[in-house]
Amino acid sequence: MKKIAFTLAACCVATLAHAQDEGPYSANSQANEWGLFGEEKARFEARVTDALCALTGDCPDDCGAGERPMVVIRKDDDRMLLVNKSGAPNFTGANHRLAEFCGQDVEVDGLLVGEPEFTPGIGAKVYQVQLIRAAGSDDWVKTDAFVPQWQEKYPDADGEGPWFRRDPNVKAAIEKDGYFGLGPDVDKKWLEENAQ
Amino acid sequence: MFRLLISLSFLAGATLPALSATGERVQITGEVIDTWCYYSGVMGGPDAVTGTAHHTCALWCAAGGIPVGMLTEDGKVYMVLKWEGHDQVGDGKTLLSVQSHKLVADGIHYERDGIDYILVENIVSDEGITLRNHEDYGFVPPFAEPGQ
Repeated sequence: MKKIAFTLAACCVATLAHAQDEGPYSANSQANEWGLFGEEKARFEARVTDALCALTGDCPDDCGAGERPMVVIRKDDDRMLLVNKSGAPNFTGANHRLAEFCGQDVEVDGLLVGEPEFTPGIGAKVYQVQLIRAAGSDDWVKTDAFVPQWQEKYPDADGEGPWFRRDPNVKAAIEKDGYFGLGPDVDKKWLEENAQ
Repeated sequence: MFRLLISLSFLAGATLPALSATGERVQITGEVIDTWCYYSGVMGGPDAVTGTAHHTCALWCAAGGIPVGMLTEDGKVYMVLKWEGHDQVGDGKTLLSVQSHKLVADGIHYERDGIDYILVENIVSDEGITLRNHEDYGFVPPFAEPGQ
């Protein structure tokens, strides 16, 4: 029953969110559509930095080496856009790829995402960057840099399945507090009551 | 002297980012959330991507470096840029222990271009996970269920 409820909710959301908005930066975008809330293709020139740097002036040369939230500051209007997601469908951000371009002028292509009508309280869209290239370069780079650096960081996290099922920090958190975060006993009880 | 100051300020502006936002001290109460699923609707509406139902997915996203936020009762989302003085909040582990928790946090708030940010200096209190919405939604997404 609960899975049905989720499926219905997801279907309703997908229907509401499906329409793609055209925005002032949508022209010539090569970004893939994802069918998200308020989705709007956006390709523009920008400067890459990390959010702490832009707001406070605390600016490491490497923008935190992929471990700080990143922003792009649009050249046209000086608007700062929080980069929330990479172009990869695997629960990963784009901080590592963007940090490679720390302090540089670039062109980015991706999706502006967010719609206050569906998510009350949000003040502006965030940015999913799918492609990036240095200013003047002909070569776009995908933003799927997370998994290779993760493999380098956790060489012993082997086994089957995608990275997020093998991540040692996630596994430790689930082992301690369970999948719902309320302890393994709550998981066990729910699974028993909802066995197919 | 005045010309010298102007010249120095231009030089500084050429090498440092413009400080276009001013921080103010705040104390906020809210749930620690995964902001991508909350903003994008990729896993469903906002009620489904918080709390216990979405806890495992929130762990995955925080481990993947997706920005973590604090969602207050009025629906405002504060993007977390520091956590008790630690500035590398996207390291994939710092914020995992508080995912989905309801907290009172003290810190410095910035706003720029419609997005709110917080540099958390101190956790005043931590109630743990209070939103038990798995009873309504199960696992969000369904493949977060163990064994899937």
